[in-house]
Amino acid sequence: MSYTANVTDTAYCYDGSFAGFLCCVFESYTRKEIPAEVCPPEEGQLNLFGTRDIPTDLQRARRVAAGLDRLGWQVKDRITTGFLSTEPGKDLTLLRFARLCFARGPGAVQMLGDPDAAAAFRLERAVNNEAGKLIEFIRFEEREGMLGAVIHPKNRVLPLLRGHFCSRLPDEDFLIFDAVHGMALLRRGGQVQYLAMEHYTPCTDEAELNWQQLWKRFFKALTIEGRRNEKAQMNHVQKRFWQDMVEMRGEPSAHS
Amino acid sequence: MDLMEKLEILADSAKYDVACTSSGVNRPGRPGALGSSVAAGICHAFTPDGRCVSLLKVLYSNVCSYDCSYCVNRRSNDRPRASFTPRELAELTVGFYRRNYIEGLFLSSAVLGTPDRTMELMIEALRILREEYHFNGYIHAKTIPGADPLLVEKIGRLADRLSVNIELPSETSLTTLAPDKKKTAILRPMGQIAVQSAQSRREMVLYRGAKPFAPAGQSTQMIIGATPETDRHIMELTEGLYKKYSLKRVFYSAYLPVVADARLPALHTAPPLLREHRLYQADWLLRYYSFTAGELLTDEEPNFDPYLDPKCTWAVRHPGFFPVEVNTATKEELLRVPGIGPKSALRILQARRVQNLGMAELKRIGVVLKRAQYFITCRGKAAAHGSRAEIANALLDPKAFSVGIQQLSLDDFVPKAMPDAAPAVQKLAANGMAADTAAKTVRQEALQCLTQRM
Repeated sequence: MSYTANVTDTAYCYDGSFAGFLCCVFESYTRKEIPAEVCPPEEGQLNLFGTRDIPTDLQRARRVAAGLDRLGWQVKDRITTGFLSTEPGKDLTLLRFARLCFARGPGAVQMLGDPDAAAAFRLERAVNNEAGKLIEFIRFEEREGMLGAVIHPKNRVLPLLRGHFCSRLPDEDFLIFDAVHGMALLRRGGQVQYLAMEHYTPCTDEAELNWQQLWKRFFKALTIEGRRNEKAQMNHVQKRFWQDMVEMRGEPSAHS
Repeated sequence: MDLMEKLEILADSAKYDVACTSSGVNRPGRPGALGSSVAAGICHAFTPDGRCVSLLKVLYSNVCSYDCSYCVNRRSNDRPRASFTPRELAELTVGFYRRNYIEGLFLSSAVLGTPDRTMELMIEALRILREEYHFNGYIHAKTIPGADPLLVEKIGRLADRLSVNIELPSETSLTTLAPDKKKTAILRPMGQIAVQSAQSRREMVLYRGAKPFAPAGQSTQMIIGATPETDRHIMELTEGLYKKYSLKRVFYSAYLPVVADARLPALHTAPPLLREHRLYQADWLLRYYSFTAGELLTDEEPNFDPYLDPKCTWAVRHPGFFPVEVNTATKEELLRVPGIGPKSALRILQARRVQNLGMAELKRIGVVLKRAQYFITCRGKAAAHGSRAEIANALLDPKAFSVGIQQLSLDDFVPKAMPDAAPAVQKLAANGMAADTAAKTVRQEALQCLTQRM
């Protein structure tokens, strides 16, 4: 690194927004220090360190964002995608990674032998993997011409689902409700919005239930009993996705 | 007959077709059409047998005029028969697709009257789907052997991937078990598809408005374990198919007895799942690791080792090739190390451009070192030292000895040999030995054997 920053024992507390996080990066440079922790509001009530509140200043955030832009799309993707993670400590990992990138240039993305780069890589991969799984396992139901789905993801993956489903269903209105984080992705008349949302009532329309029944019967008919291997099934579809999948829910796993 | 019953019958008849991939073509959505495709393919569900459901895999009809003895839908088998109408099928596909149940349609059919008539009906269904419903998702269609080349051309313009099933690994097996199918009738459309697909790909580069022909290429499948061919024969056939017809995939399907016949393995014979797994492993080595069939199997060892995967077998036979220095080796060399695959190799190549790699770095990169450590050096130093027995222990494939509680029933907690465990384990367990002891015994023997070989 061009200069070594002190690892101090202060914790940065910020408001949990991405702009706030960028301000933490800014702060870490102005003070020439690396904090011991970076806490969004939901973490860090209890900690042993002295805390410093980092106010969110859009101008500072924009300067850091412009700096990250110059480092290329891979750096930018890793940080923005990694930020969607809900793993505790992700903020510090990303701050350290951002510093590594500013010091070493765009090549830092590939330095997987470095602990900070490797940790950031893992964060990004975990979020992308989960989004990939949801692209596979989301089940829409139709109600009055609109498609709706509920998901229970670990990370805030809605922004990563947007591109795929907008491209795939260009003329449809749809809503994806993230029940864990109380957010929804709504696309109506070609416009996309992120909303705060509380509940979602499942559809009881008869035509829709008939489609679901058709799908379940198809799914059951496809199974080859002579090759039954539930472990392999579980490896591919982890149990936490089952609650939102029509064919895995309800009847106790189709035993006969 | 209502749609639900039809779907059940025709899905049940189609399930023995293995291919259910939606890969090979990248096509973003466009306004006015429904759907898109992603080159890597997307699986949407996994059945309790662990296979993926990516496409709505159905037969157009299971009313067959052929009598192939390995097939459930043969004329002489007594089972419920049904056929879709083209419009029913199109509506079903769109309904499932919009709900994100599937990635597209996989349409195959029994021979309904003549091959030509069958193909015409299939083409009509695909035409409605593409032209009336503006369906832009993935379509995999199976060409019926013996159909007119003009019909093959027509279906290739509508589908993304075409396939012709080679069915059995040799012509003699084909004549004994499937007397209605001829080798030439299978290979001719395969050749036609290869030529037209390549031609359309060239045209698409040159002219705007050139129409794609099967842009995701073609695939095939064969049944293994129903006839006496060796693995070496199958691998050489596969390699030939990849080279000559530039196939995208060859699928293998472990034969599951569906009929009592003197020419076939007895009913209740377990499907050779481990052998199928080894063939797929070798297939990957051909396509992504630049191995050749001749390197993997020899005349002395014409079949794969049940206890060792094909790459480890090769490594054990070629000790002179190792160790490989991770900081300087080429990609091809890295790919030959047991435990290093295309992803790890790529990450090593990228990381070593910016830093020198030692063991700690390799671990952080995410390289699985269990087997690899005995075959590599980092900065000239051996990554690990192990006695022959230790190395052999790391190399043995745990899948061959897997034991577990299969069914989630309430009264049955006794571990059983997994369906894809080695045949020796299954046999001992079937003879009354406890499954975990059986697995241990067989593993001990395999370990000794391997230690001596090294």
